[in-house]
Amino acid sequence: MSKSFDQVELLVGDKVVYTNSFSPYDPILCNFLDAFSKELNKKSTKVYPDLKSLSFWCRKKNIDRIKKNFLTNEIRAGKGLIFHIAPSNVPTNFMYSLIFGLLTGNSNIVRVPSKSFNQVKIICNLIKDLLKMKKFNSLKKNIKIVKYGNENENFTKYISSLCDVRIIWGGDKSIENIRRFPIKSRSFDLTFADRYSICLIDTDQLEKLNNLNLKLLTNKFYNDTYSFDQNACSSPHLIFWKGKKNMKAREKFWNNLKELVEKKYDLPEKATFDKFSKLCIDSTNLKNFQFQKKFGEMIYIVNLKKIDKKIEHLRGKWGYFYEHEIKDINEIKKVLSSKFQTLTYFGVKKNLLDNFAKSNLSGIDRIVPIGQALEISLVWDGYDINKTLTRVVDIK
Amino acid sequence: MENKDFLKKINELTKYHYENSLKFKNIIDKIYNKNINSPSIQSVPFLPVSLFKEIELKSIPDNKIFKILNSSGTSKSKLSKIYLDKENASRQTKVLNQIVSEIIGSKRLPMILTDERKTIKDPKQFNAKTAAYLGFSLFGHDIFYLLEDGKINYEGLNSFFEKYDNKKILIFGFTSDVHERLIKQLNLNNLAKNNFDKAILIHGGGWKKMEQEKISNYEFKNVLNKKLNINSIYNYYGLIEQTGSIFFEAKCGYFTTSNFSDVIIRGKNFEVLPENKKGFVQLISTLPTSYPGHSILTEDIGEIKVIKNCKCGKKNKHFLIHGRAKDSELRGCSDV
Repeated sequence: MSKSFDQVELLVGDKVVYTNSFSPYDPILCNFLDAFSKELNKKSTKVYPDLKSLSFWCRKKNIDRIKKNFLTNEIRAGKGLIFHIAPSNVPTNFMYSLIFGLLTGNSNIVRVPSKSFNQVKIICNLIKDLLKMKKFNSLKKNIKIVKYGNENENFTKYISSLCDVRIIWGGDKSIENIRRFPIKSRSFDLTFADRYSICLIDTDQLEKLNNLNLKLLTNKFYNDTYSFDQNACSSPHLIFWKGKKNMKAREKFWNNLKELVEKKYDLPEKATFDKFSKLCIDSTNLKNFQFQKKFGEMIYIVNLKKIDKKIEHLRGKWGYFYEHEIKDINEIKKVLSSKFQTLTYFGVKKNLLDNFAKSNLSGIDRIVPIGQALEISLVWDGYDINKTLTRVVDIK
Repeated sequence: MENKDFLKKINELTKYHYENSLKFKNIIDKIYNKNINSPSIQSVPFLPVSLFKEIELKSIPDNKIFKILNSSGTSKSKLSKIYLDKENASRQTKVLNQIVSEIIGSKRLPMILTDERKTIKDPKQFNAKTAAYLGFSLFGHDIFYLLEDGKINYEGLNSFFEKYDNKKILIFGFTSDVHERLIKQLNLNNLAKNNFDKAILIHGGGWKKMEQEKISNYEFKNVLNKKLNINSIYNYYGLIEQTGSIFFEAKCGYFTTSNFSDVIIRGKNFEVLPENKKGFVQLISTLPTSYPGHSILTEDIGEIKVIKNCKCGKKNKHFLIHGRAKDSELRGCSDV
């Protein structure tokens, strides 16, 4: 069936489809990732901070930590062939997906964005070089990276019919599109769809921060939001201020952010225009819309006195935040739905969060401190990847 | 118009729309801190041009709607909707008349339109193009449509030139159409005679296509001049959102404002930019009364030029248009 490979650009691997699994966290694989991390670190310059974080993420220490989470009494094996369809506008995402599949002992075919990204090239060339080495040769069959346009549905159809798990990253529409192609009866789709994320800040704790710590906090908040134009699933759109109003502390927070944004953020030419357009639309559509033009066009903050269900339709981009004041963390519950993914927080006590998480939430899969919104892990979108991509061999 | 009078007129319009369009009022109240009386033209509130695609903006009751103009727009994007009452529509015509008559004089001229008759006749397609055709056809008589079934009608063109031998004529078309038909397609061997040298050519819009063809305004003129010997070529710039108060390119090669309009260039943070700096073009017009379009921020990138004692003799603001702002490509995993 190598004909299905027509019009497919093979970045890594050959034209044979392998479906074999191997043991999860195989030492060869862990060594491979270690080598990959080291080499990538050498290659990644200041130009590609995303490559730097990727290299950091798959360093030996982190992989060992992830491995510890995997260790169980059960005997587990990879599912077989994983078909990954990466999102079209995050250059390094495909590699995380691939690592998910590899760690759990699977063969992988990864479709990278059809847009041309230098990061993709760098990663693929590096993998190719490493696979040429004798010690990693056995992994060759388990890694295939391909690139093709949306019009080439044959390949998607073909691999869908063979894979054991299909991982689809992307907006609701692209997922729907891929789902038109049937998979085997025992196979399933793991979808990482469009999500909505929020942030919770205790203003009383915020007020207590000294200048340095406040700067550190805003820096982390900046990384959570601006580094992907506030368009990553886990970047917050809505901020809950819990506690007394503490306007001064909040203003200081925004001012710090403003300084940072002005220094670091390269706003695309049309972004201010689109942001402003959205602001005008919101001002006519939202009933309790309140806006203060204090922070220029780099940060828009829209205060909402009341919030309701379907709040997840309010999505800011390029630094456009909605905010709402609450007295009690449980007030968040009334707006939650399955669309909600990450809650980032500052100054909120662990036991309060624990109780909140245990209270039968109708959304939210992740609660992490501000600064860790984009830190991908093997528990993602409510799935434990270690378990989802492996099967149990039960012995009694 | 004196600067003060112009500002007064624009402030009056802001106040008028504030009182007659609830949506406009919401924007002014919530984003512009209720500013309906600006101390300077730079501080007059402006709406982004894309807003006319997203929400219904009008300052007249439904029963006063005379016609609705639609932007041409690409297939992907939504169309903008401009609501006109009779009064506003006639003011647009009047002002256009005044601006154009400075170029062609007060008499109507025999006219060539670089398109087909049916584009103008189709009532369903009332877009920027048809609006421009209808607007400009008022300056011509005995209009000859250059195309028939997609091809140049040489027979008709020959009899047109026969009839108006040695007479002044007007040619009107979208820039890309003029390029396609007069520069690329027209074969002069098929014409017994022509008096293109007596023609005044007015063209505008459609420069997105021209950017793809990578032809500069200068080259465009040069080729028309060489091939057809047309010397009077006038490029204009205008928005459907501000039909009527369009900007003509003066002899010096810059667009100039009129008594009915002003231009401000703004940077990434919407700060007012000085001359010779490129930024978003904000257009101000005294015409829009039936919809709040008197102060609009466009997605076009332009630049103000200050030229002392310009050879064109115009005292008004001079500016250049450099094209559309680069699309903002999003990173992130949503909306793929």
